[in-house]
Amino acid sequence: MAEHYTSFDRSGRRWLLQRLTAVFLIGTLAFHFFLLHFVNHAAEIEFAGTQARMGEVGYFSMMVLFLVAATFHGVNGVYNALVNMGIEGTQKRVVGGVLTLAGVLLIVQGVRVAVAMAGVI
Amino acid sequence: MSETYNRGTVEDAGRWTEFSAGMWAWIFHKFTGWVLVGYLFTHIAVLSTATASDPAVYNQTLSGLEGLLIVRILEVGLLAVAVFHILNGVRLLLVDLGIGLESQDKSFYASLVLTGAIAVASVPTFLAGAF
Repeated sequence: MAEHYTSFDRSGRRWLLQRLTAVFLIGTLAFHFFLLHFVNHAAEIEFAGTQARMGEVGYFSMMVLFLVAATFHGVNGVYNALVNMGIEGTQKRVVGGVLTLAGVLLIVQGVRVAVAMAGVI
Repeated sequence: MSETYNRGTVEDAGRWTEFSAGMWAWIFHKFTGWVLVGYLFTHIAVLSTATASDPAVYNQTLSGLEGLLIVRILEVGLLAVAVFHILNGVRLLLVDLGIGLESQDKSFYASLVLTGAIAVASVPTFLAGAF
């Protein structure tokens, strides 16, 4: 299979997680878009409806998992793209650190927003 | 260890006429990925400011944004980007599993055509009430 090229390290955990989150995101991203643009028109969305949706444990949990999976997939994808472009050494470590911090901050802030939407606080 | 071969520098845009379907798929997947991760951060930032105080701010933010024609058009673009990334992502997962290796070009073209069809079909929904 000499023609089979991949830039990923196949033995790596990040390689596997990128694909597992991809499978999860195929469903959740399509669902998110469909629900908030086609079932409910974005222009007609009001806080009461958002709060009602986020008040359901199943929906809330799925949105938080969606956030975590999307953040990991996105940040890891950016990291892989930059590694693929040739960054190494200190540059690679700094990029990894900055992206990890950005990802953690996004998840924390996203969960704060989700909690506020659910009306828990 | 998977074997590799010299595919040249795909980032060298001057070589675009030599690019194969697989290279275009690689470029489009990277481009749509960058757009989606950028949008994710923007999306959370906008929702953060919208949910900062009372519900009226949330409603005003959403209706204000949706009242702009450019936002409606960008939403169609976002859908196209998301649909392509999903379809090409499914294609990549299948390739990783060794399924359809002989039809990689065809499945890329199918992803493009399906993305275009879904984006065009979504236009009435996205532009409803925009004018």
